[in-house]
Amino acid sequence: MNWPPMLMHIKVKNKDTDFGIWIPFILVLLVALAVILALSPFIILAFIIMLMVGAERYVRLTLWGFWVAIVSVWAMKGLNVEVQNFKEHVIVSVM
Amino acid sequence: MSASKKKILEMLAQNKISADDAYKLLTAIDSEDGGRPSEGNTRDGKGNTGHEPFIDNSLAGKLKPKYLRVTVTPKEGADPENVDRVNVRIPMALVRAGLKMTALIPPDALNKTNDALREKGINFDVKSIKPEDLEELITALGDMQVDVETAKGEKVKVFVEY
Repeated sequence: MNWPPMLMHIKVKNKDTDFGIWIPFILVLLVALAVILALSPFIILAFIIMLMVGAERYVRLTLWGFWVAIVSVWAMKGLNVEVQNFKEHVIVSVM
Repeated sequence: MSASKKKILEMLAQNKISADDAYKLLTAIDSEDGGRPSEGNTRDGKGNTGHEPFIDNSLAGKLKPKYLRVTVTPKEGADPENVDRVNVRIPMALVRAGLKMTALIPPDALNKTNDALREKGINFDVKSIKPEDLEELITALGDMQVDVETAKGEKVKVFVEY
């Protein structure tokens, strides 16, 4: 099974700062899921109203955008960006 | 057994690849560490920079690309206080997801893009790009490798990792 990303590591290091944070991505996803579930009646109602006024194109685009957002988050696992110059060293890593 | 190993063995059984090729691929998978090439699985076997594609081009078309890599490495012997290093690894699934977002581009913006291309002398309709074309494009990325050496001696590489 293809698991969603669990952790995100952000690190910024320069002369003044040495900042690093580990974000439990999976918890953020779970909170987002809970929020969406809680709001789902309102979302469905909004879609029904939009369909009634003939804005089905926007409903379709919204659903597609939502799906792409989920797929994008899922696909972020393995993303690694590391940039270093004489001033700063920045690391963004999703695992 | 991982899906990749199973696929390699299937290709070997179907005589699509030679035993040597299968051995190289299995070794590459076994020694892969978090998607990064490690010593011994780079193309030259030296593992010199850790940024080399670790698979022969002849085999590239037989496996699915996993990561798009962009690296910038400084010139050897450069002043460590004054160097730029970039190491980016983008999962191909993320590239695919990004391409799916093109469906969200408003038609007006596509028309403007077409007009801008036409002004530059490129007669191409971006609306004609289909999802299957994009998939083919991503698969074809496996054959791509860009090597640029700047005047300062920095090496810029864009390649696909398996």
